[in-house]
Amino acid sequence: MLRPDQILTTVEMIQKENLDVRTVTMGINLLDCRSGDIRGTCDNIERKIGGLAENFVPTCDRIGRKLGIPVVNKRISVTPIALVGQGFKRADFIELAKCLERAADRAGIDILGGFSAQVEKGLTESDREYILSIPEALSVTEKICASINIASSQKGINMDALAMVGQTVKDLAEITKESGGFGAAKFVVFCNQPGDNPFMAGAIHGTGEADAVLNVGVSGPGVISRSLERLIANKGAENLLLDDLADEIKQTTYRVTRCGELVGRQVSRELGIEFGVVDLSLAPTPTVGDSVGEILHILGVDAIGAPGSTAIVAMLNDAVKKGGIFASKAVGGLSGAFIPVMEDAVLAEAVGRGELCLEKLEAMTCVCSVGLDMVAIPGSVDADTISAIIADEMAIGMINNKTTAARLIPVPGKEAGEHVSFGGLFGASPIMPVRNVGKSSRFVNWGGRIPAPVHSFKN
Amino acid sequence: MQRQMIISVLAEDRPGIIAEITGAIFELKGDLADLSQSILCGYLTMTLIVTFDDDISPDDVRAKIAAIKAKNGYDIIVKPMNGPLPDCGGELPEKTYILTVQGKNKSGMVYSISSFCFQRNINILDLSTTLKDDRYTMVLQLDLSKVEDIKQLRDELEVHARQTEVQVMMQHYDIFKVTNEVTLI
Repeated sequence: MLRPDQILTTVEMIQKENLDVRTVTMGINLLDCRSGDIRGTCDNIERKIGGLAENFVPTCDRIGRKLGIPVVNKRISVTPIALVGQGFKRADFIELAKCLERAADRAGIDILGGFSAQVEKGLTESDREYILSIPEALSVTEKICASINIASSQKGINMDALAMVGQTVKDLAEITKESGGFGAAKFVVFCNQPGDNPFMAGAIHGTGEADAVLNVGVSGPGVISRSLERLIANKGAENLLLDDLADEIKQTTYRVTRCGELVGRQVSRELGIEFGVVDLSLAPTPTVGDSVGEILHILGVDAIGAPGSTAIVAMLNDAVKKGGIFASKAVGGLSGAFIPVMEDAVLAEAVGRGELCLEKLEAMTCVCSVGLDMVAIPGSVDADTISAIIADEMAIGMINNKTTAARLIPVPGKEAGEHVSFGGLFGASPIMPVRNVGKSSRFVNWGGRIPAPVHSFKN
Repeated sequence: MQRQMIISVLAEDRPGIIAEITGAIFELKGDLADLSQSILCGYLTMTLIVTFDDDISPDDVRAKIAAIKAKNGYDIIVKPMNGPLPDCGGELPEKTYILTVQGKNKSGMVYSISSFCFQRNINILDLSTTLKDDRYTMVLQLDLSKVEDIKQLRDELEVHARQTEVQVMMQHYDIFKVTNEVTLI
């Protein structure tokens, strides 16, 4: 048997630190579901998802019970729907969203991602119809998440699409104003979007993937916080250097990732569906103690957004990758630290206290694994300004060869300092002020493209 | 012809015990098949499986070890084994679980959880306990091959834990293996 102290370390991770598997996401290819008309296509999609996902949720639950590690979320991602629906009109895309919702209901999952498009270099007529359908499609469904890749390090930034998505974010918030603009929380804009990310709202089943795969998202930041606290309590802060703390993060991530790999591979074997990747991301939830912000506090900044915050996120992101990459046969997705403001109670508090501003958050996204995520901004911010904020975020990803994303929620009728709450996993936050509103329209309205950066020319 | 014997040795721990015991076996031309030892609070216990030539009897082995001039001597049991050596180094059963039980120290804690296991036909493969700050921790490695319904067992464990005022956790052994060992999954 293993040594009792080794066993008790793992027991503490499960008992006190809520070690779990955050998500198992089944990616499903829908390209073969296309028929001549919308009705036939919808029938094919429902049949395919229904067939593949029939035993998905019960199997995850059974394996979670067997191993004693819960699988918190079971989700599905599909081929970007704009590819499936090329040639369709706006109304058809809304029908596709409804059909995906029915399939999600039948599979017993809470969220389905992939109502998406990839338009980093150009828009087809159908892509435009798809983008125009997003506000209604997300307001008449509950479980469907949309994402759109408008930039990449290889192709540059599609500024025509950028202008459209700024307006889409505004329209989404407006059409769902009764719920504080919640629709915008289900829509992410990406640069370098990965095709195997299991985390919502940006999960898609990318082209180049097998017909169906399982991707796993590992446990959240709470496990890392508790392990750091235990190390500091045992050894004394005065006896530790920052590299000791980085090493603790690495080792804990290794353990956490191994659990994700074990659970994912067992589900994959039972369902007979190929195992894709483990995504190492630390995804916070609004639950107290499950916060990336808390890790920043432990690592030495008394306010999130204080000088040093970016450096800490950089170290955290890197240590997570180093620990996880050896633990899994295949690592993918986003794999780093998320800093989604509304979903992270400590980050949201920092916004309320005026400690964390949009500019500092943007700086932190240069070294985290995603971007400006779940940021509530005043409803009065215009579409062009939203597009311009997204453009800055896209530029960070494009130049640094990394994924960046923006999920902004312009809360209708509310101004900076007021509060918005979506409940559940989507969380709550004070509204973050946006400076220099209305001063970027000339830039956004040029249209065209920001050309591919020089380091894309590697051939 | 050869015969296999199982030898159990208990002694106060000090340097040289393994050398002395295996030296005695070597002198009797014994072939050591397997050995397991553990130390608890300064006392060492060792179990050895050894093959000897047919002319060596258990009494010969006992006498040889007893003749070692050691401080405080050895307590020895030697028994001949019937039949061939069973497969004792193989894989753990598929349904191997780790149960940890923690609670305020009181008498009968090991008896209580081991009776719980016995009543359900659960074999305890290994057990280790520690006492720290009046808190008693038991780590049991269990074979649940004869348990039909793990969920029902978990429910019964919860009831048992409430009644006996302990905290219990039970996970599959694989979880501990993958979080503590560098192995293929």
